[in-house]
Amino acid sequence: MKRTGILVLALVSCALVLFFVVGMGSSVTELEDIVGNEIIGRIAPNISAAAGMKLASEYAASKTQEELETLVVSGTTAGIRTAARMALSIVYAQKTVIELTALATGDIDPAFREAASAPLQNFLIEMSADDLKTMAVSGATHEIRLAAADLYYLKIRNNLTAEKLEMEAVLNDSDELAHMAGVYLGGFYLSFNPKTMEELEALAKNGETEGMRVAGATALTSLLIQSDLTAGDLELAIQALGDEYPELLQAYTDALAHRYGS
Amino acid sequence: MKKAALILMAMLFVMSASAVLMAQGYATQPADAKIIPLGEEGTAYENQEPGVRGGTMYVAAISDPKKWNYVTSHETSTTQFTNMMLRGLIDLNPVTGAIEPELAKGWDISEDNLVITFHLREGLKWSDGEPFTADDVVFSFNDLYYNEDVETDTRDILILPDDTYPVVEKVDDYTVKVTLSMIFRPILNSIGAPILPKHALAQYVRKLNPDVPVGTFNSCWGLDTDPAELVGMGPFMVESYAPDQYVTLVRNPYYYHYDANGTQLPYFDKYVVLTVASQDVSLLKFRNGELDALGIRATDVPILKREEAVKDLTVLVNPDVANYGTSWIGINQDIGLAEGTYENLRTLFGMRDFRAAMAHLVDKQAIIDTLFNGLAVPQWSPVSYLSPFYAGRDYYGGPVTETDAVVFEYSLVKAGELLDGIGIIDRDGDGWRDYEDGTRVEIELNTNAGNTEREGTCLIVSDRASKIGLKLNFIPVDFNTLVDKLFASTGEMIVLGLTGGDEPNNGANVYSSGGGLHFWHYSAADEPTELEKKIDGFLDAAVATLDNDEAFEIYKEYQVTLANDDLGLVYTVNSAFTYAYSNTLGNANIASPSATPSGTNGLTMDLAFRK
Repeated sequence: MKRTGILVLALVSCALVLFFVVGMGSSVTELEDIVGNEIIGRIAPNISAAAGMKLASEYAASKTQEELETLVVSGTTAGIRTAARMALSIVYAQKTVIELTALATGDIDPAFREAASAPLQNFLIEMSADDLKTMAVSGATHEIRLAAADLYYLKIRNNLTAEKLEMEAVLNDSDELAHMAGVYLGGFYLSFNPKTMEELEALAKNGETEGMRVAGATALTSLLIQSDLTAGDLELAIQALGDEYPELLQAYTDALAHRYGS
Repeated sequence: MKKAALILMAMLFVMSASAVLMAQGYATQPADAKIIPLGEEGTAYENQEPGVRGGTMYVAAISDPKKWNYVTSHETSTTQFTNMMLRGLIDLNPVTGAIEPELAKGWDISEDNLVITFHLREGLKWSDGEPFTADDVVFSFNDLYYNEDVETDTRDILILPDDTYPVVEKVDDYTVKVTLSMIFRPILNSIGAPILPKHALAQYVRKLNPDVPVGTFNSCWGLDTDPAELVGMGPFMVESYAPDQYVTLVRNPYYYHYDANGTQLPYFDKYVVLTVASQDVSLLKFRNGELDALGIRATDVPILKREEAVKDLTVLVNPDVANYGTSWIGINQDIGLAEGTYENLRTLFGMRDFRAAMAHLVDKQAIIDTLFNGLAVPQWSPVSYLSPFYAGRDYYGGPVTETDAVVFEYSLVKAGELLDGIGIIDRDGDGWRDYEDGTRVEIELNTNAGNTEREGTCLIVSDRASKIGLKLNFIPVDFNTLVDKLFASTGEMIVLGLTGGDEPNNGANVYSSGGGLHFWHYSAADEPTELEKKIDGFLDAAVATLDNDEAFEIYKEYQVTLANDDLGLVYTVNSAFTYAYSNTLGNANIASPSATPSGTNGLTMDLAFRK
C-alpha cells in the first residue's frame, strides 16, 4: 500500500529522536528495552505503549498479580504501565464476577478498572441488550460503561447499519455509547461500507465528534497494519503527530504495536 | 460434508472418560494408510501444507450433544462429534467434493452396475486397538442400518425404489460385496454411511445378543456412557464431557490418515468444544482469542473485520458462494393428531392455501438486508444451492439462472387474500383473524434460542403476519427441546434448518412420505396424499438412472412440485459462506462450504495444526 500523507509530513518535519527500536518482529528482549527506556517513554510515550501492548502475555506469565498492580501505577514508562495493565486483565480473568465488578466500579486507579472490565465482559454478555444499554449510560465508572456499551452493540449487531452507527456516533448523549458506536462503525468502513485510507485518515483527524474520529481510527489501524509501512515509518509518524490528534495517534500506535509483535 | 450428505442434522453431544488413551498406536505407518498430499502441486490439497503435531484446538457450540450414538441421531449437536469419531467406506474430498476412498481403498463396479466390490484398507485398527475388518462393515449395514429394531434415518437413504436394500456380504476379511436389485445412481454416496465397531456394539443388538431386549441399541452410547467404551475410526475420540461446559476429544492413536512426510494425523493432540449459551458468547470468546475458529454470521463480519489485522485473524466472506443446506418454516400438519386436539389448527395447517399465505409473508429481502447484511440469497428449493442438481440451474451442473425458480413474492395483499379465501378472517373486529367458529387463530412460532438469525427471522415473520391480523406468538426455546418438539410432533410452527449436500437423495429421509425426518407430516407414512405419492415417485425415478442429466430433469420437477404445490416447508433464505479463524491455525484455509459445512468444524479439522 502507498505511504500516507502523514508519513510524508513526518519525514519533512520530525525532530531528531533517539530510537532504540528495531524493525518488524521484535523479540521480548527488544520490547523490554523499549518499554524500559525512559527517554522513549518521555519523548515518545505512544511508542513505549505500543511495545508494552506486545509484552502483556510475557508479563502475565512472569509476574505476580501484586507486581503487576504495582507496575500499573508506578511503572516508570507508559510502556511498562501498559504492559502491566494488559497483563493484569489476563490475570483478572480468574476472578469472580463479584470481584471483577467491584474492581470495575471501585474508587481506584482507572487502570485497575480497565483491567477488570475486559474479563468482566464474559459475565456481562449474559445481560439483555436493554440492560447493557442502561449500564452503558448509568454505570458507576467510565470503564464499566464502556465495557457495557461494547457488548450492547454486539448484542444488537443484527440491527446495525453504518447509517445507524453514524447517527449514534454523532448524536449520542452517552460518551461511551458514542465511542463504541465509532468502534463498530469502523468495522463497517472495512467491510460493507468501505472507505479509503485517505478518507479514514481525514475522519480520524477531523471527524465532527469523538465517535466519528474513533470510527476513522479503528478502520485506519487495520489498513495501516496491512500497508507496507515499517515499524520505523510508524514511529516517525507518531513522533510527527504529537498530541493534537489523539484518535489518529492511537491508530498509529496500535499499528506499531502490531508491527512489534509480528 | 459426507455426513451432511448422508443425513439431515440438527444437533448434539457426548460423554467422557480417559481410558480411550490406553492404546499406544501403530508401531509403523500401515501399508494401507490414507496419505493426504498436503501442499503437493496438482492435487486438491496444493494450497495446504504439512503441519506439526501438538497442542489443543478450541471451538464452541451452543448446544450439548444428545448422545454419542451416530446411528440413532437426528441432530448436528450429536453428529458434530460423531463425525470426528467415525468414518465410512467412502468420503467426499473437502476441496473438490469428489467421492474418494476412505475405509475402502478402492472398489470395482460390475458392467451392469449392480455389484460393487469394496477392497478395505488392511491392517487398520479401531481406536481401542481392535482390528478393523469386513465384519464391521457387514455388521453396520445388516445389523444396524437395515435392522428394523434400530431407529435410524440412514435406512431411508439406502432403500431402493423397489423397497429392497443393497445386499452387503463379506467376501473375506478385507473384501465386501454390495449387490443391488436395480440401478441406484447415488449408491456410492449412500454406502458411505459411518462404519461402527462390531466388537463394541453387537452386545446391544438383540438380533446378535438374545439376552438384551429389543431396541436396546437405540439407547446405547448415551451421554452416561464411559468414554472408554466409545470406539471409532475417526481422528478424535471423546475424552471427557461436562454438561453445559465442554466436550474434550483426544487424538485417536490408530487414525490411519498420514501426511506425505509420514506424520500421522490429526496434528492436534486435543480438540475442545466449549458449550456456550449463545452466538453472542461464542463471538465474544473468538474476539478474545479463546476460540480458534468460528462459523460466523453476516452480522459478525463488521465486528471481526476491524479485528482481523489487529488480532491476526482471517475473516472469509464470499458473497457468491452460498452454504449448503436449507432454512425454512416447518408447519406441523399433524399437530394434535395423536391426542385428538388442535383440530382447528391442524385443519388450517393442512390447507395448501394457508401454507402459501405463510410463504407470501416471508419478507426475504428484509431478512437478507437486516439479518445478513446482504450476504444471503432467497431460498425456494429443498436442494442445496451448490448442488449440480439444484433446479435454479438450467441443466446438470450449469450456472444458476433461477429461470424456473418458484417464487412466492412477499405480499401482504396476497397473503391476506389467501387467508380470506379459506375463511380465516377477523370475525369480531379485534384486529386478529379467527376460525369459522369465532375463536382467534393463535400460532406458536419457535426456533432455537441463541441463534440470532433464526430469532430475527421469527420476529420479521411474526411482524409481517401481524400486519394482516394473523397472530404468531414467537417463543425461542433450547435447541434440544426444539428438536424434541419436532420429532414428537408437538411443535406448531418451527423455524429451523437442515444440512445439505450435492446429492438430493440424501434428503429422502426428509421429503419421502415415509421418511424418518418427514416431521411436518409423519402421518403421511400411513396415508400419503396424492401429491406426496408423486414426490415419492420423483425420488424413486431419479435414483433409478445413472444419467445425471436425466436425473436432473426429474429432480427439477421434484423441486418445483415440492416448492409450489406441496409447501411442506416454507423456505426463507440461504446464507453466503462466511468463516473466521486465527492465523495461528495451519490449514484452516481449507474452510469452505464443503469442508466446514454449516459453519461447523467438520472432518477437515484433522488437517489443522498450530503454527
